[in-house]
Amino acid sequence: MLLRIARKEFCDISRDGRFRGSAAIVALLLVTATALGWQSWQEIRREHDRAQAEAREHFDDQGEKNPHAAAHYGLYLFKPKPPLSFVDPGVDPYTGVSVYLEAHRRNEVGNRPARDATALQRFGELTAAAVLQVLMPLLIVFLAFPAVAGEREQGTLRQVMSLGVRPSALVAGKALGLTLALALIAVPALAMGVGVLIMAGPESARTWPHALALGTGYAVYLGIFLAASLAVSALARSSRVALIVLLGFWIVNAMVAPRLATDLARRAVPTPSAFQFAEAIRSDIKAGIDGHDPEDARLERLKRETLAKHNVETVEELPINFQGVALQAGEEYGNAVFDRHYGALWKAFSGQDSLRQWLGFAFPTLAIRDLSMALAGTDNARAHDFAESAEAYRRDLVKALNRDLEVNGADLGFMYQAGPELWKSMPVFRYRPPSLGATLESLRLAWWSLLLWLIATTGLVRLSTRALRVD
Amino acid sequence: MLEARSLTKTYNGFTALDSLDLTVGEGEIFCLLGANGAGKTTTINLFLNFIAPTSGSVTIRGLDVVANPLETKRYVAYIPETVMLYKNLTGLENLAYFAALAGHDSYSTAELRGFLEQSGLPNEAAERRVGTYSKGMRQKVGIAIALAKHAESLLLDEPTSGLDPKASNEFANLLRTLRDRGVAVLMATHDLFHAKETGTRVGIMKRGRMVASLETDEVGHADLERIYLQHMHD
Repeated sequence: MLLRIARKEFCDISRDGRFRGSAAIVALLLVTATALGWQSWQEIRREHDRAQAEAREHFDDQGEKNPHAAAHYGLYLFKPKPPLSFVDPGVDPYTGVSVYLEAHRRNEVGNRPARDATALQRFGELTAAAVLQVLMPLLIVFLAFPAVAGEREQGTLRQVMSLGVRPSALVAGKALGLTLALALIAVPALAMGVGVLIMAGPESARTWPHALALGTGYAVYLGIFLAASLAVSALARSSRVALIVLLGFWIVNAMVAPRLATDLARRAVPTPSAFQFAEAIRSDIKAGIDGHDPEDARLERLKRETLAKHNVETVEELPINFQGVALQAGEEYGNAVFDRHYGALWKAFSGQDSLRQWLGFAFPTLAIRDLSMALAGTDNARAHDFAESAEAYRRDLVKALNRDLEVNGADLGFMYQAGPELWKSMPVFRYRPPSLGATLESLRLAWWSLLLWLIATTGLVRLSTRALRVD
Repeated sequence: MLEARSLTKTYNGFTALDSLDLTVGEGEIFCLLGANGAGKTTTINLFLNFIAPTSGSVTIRGLDVVANPLETKRYVAYIPETVMLYKNLTGLENLAYFAALAGHDSYSTAELRGFLEQSGLPNEAAERRVGTYSKGMRQKVGIAIALAKHAESLLLDEPTSGLDPKASNEFANLLRTLRDRGVAVLMATHDLFHAKETGTRVGIMKRGRMVASLETDEVGHADLERIYLQHMHD
């Protein structure tokens, strides 16, 4: 019975010109978005790989110079673009993709395409994630709003119910038929995505579990819209009312909630402007964290302590290079300042993120956004993780160079020079993204809100079919 | 087969049906006559359990329809004033779907065509989408559904209103054939002439009450019309 109803529903809908038109458009958009996303992923990855290798080459080819000068020369690092970013580029355009490492300074991750783009781009970017999060639900609403209400108005519901069909079987059959029709839209893009992951080689092998989790998340999300549409269609006074209610639900989720969440988060947990932030760090380093320990005083104290430690009277008598010690001490003081300020900043950001996650219980679209970006590896948490990992590498690199100056440059002061062997012996940066387990763990709230929405909406469907009105 | 006992339905104080007693046995065609709002459609809706009775009982084959909403529907077929079909499907597909929902999923295409033929639907129309059908053709698909269901009783709600005389006549002939097979028919209608011609009994309804019930054999056309009008004028 269920299959028979599903088959008729699928057959009926697939002969509808409006469905064919809109399905073709959405399927085309989805395929285009996937193809474009994939192409740009490949391009960007190739560029990053080349730029990263070049930056390292330049670093290695510096020739003879003081190690501290080499630390100033610096190195560019690039945030590896995860394979699934072709589905969802996430916040990458806003948080940046590359960072310049150098002595004394912790630079922001930069190179943010969104900074150069007009506000129009916010709406205009075609991504598979946007199609799945915004357009597919709209299509579901348009397909499903007349499912019960429309049949009620046409009078076919009376006849179907006069045959002794169980209302729950009717609605379940419709849900299945609609699901089939919708799956048909997703099939071309899905096949393309799978093909792309297969072709991408070993790097993508690691992302299969992520892709599976991502697919599950989107299936649940779209299931919520389908169930809500069927329930509203069964409960509404007329199909017009059903359409208005469902469009309202869609607008609130797809249009209002994301902006609302961003503004609310910004108000609830304010973050300093980039200028204020940099200024606070600069003054803390110059005047000391408590404001009463200026740089010169710290240097003087370090000198006294170092001389006392080695039991000598002057810097020249030291068995080590004092410049190396002083530079590293300055570095470490700076690092403590960075930790303080960045710690507070990240805390604010994660406060904003968790506020948004809680709002996901009110708006499922927020939950899927979080889930999608996190599994694609393009969310705020990943940007944070990369920034921290790059900073840790910067500290190791600068420390190793200062150490060389301290140990080997004993009597030469700033005249000491090291060569390419030293540059080449510096560690190579490899970013290790967090494991799937850790990512899923951080998405607990998003999963729960999607699951609760699914349970609530399917529960509403059951409730609405218990006493289905025929007219 | 079809039985109503002191059946009453009120909506917010308005009495749509007032203690109706009615029995339609095998091979009987009971015609409910009356103006709009007399309670004819309410009676049929109660038999289909689309609405719940305020008091009294409705049974089909001795089974209470409120207690057995799914089972009692297996024995009846319902044809409304305009049979509504899925316009994107052909007549044949519509019939196959409705028959399957009624529990008859195993008909071959030839058998389904046979039902449409018996109902008088032109052969070429069976493969056309229903969107192009006239009202008469839809009614014929409705009859084919009833035939395919092998229903023991029919609930008809003004099935011939708006049909041309020829189609109306064909419909009456089909009803007679079904009656002869022992089907019990309850039909709401405005058509005194056909009620007299095809019905075995007629009940005249007014403001929710059945004010008269007669055997059609015992009255002539003119008598029936006179009695009907008399009741309407009171």
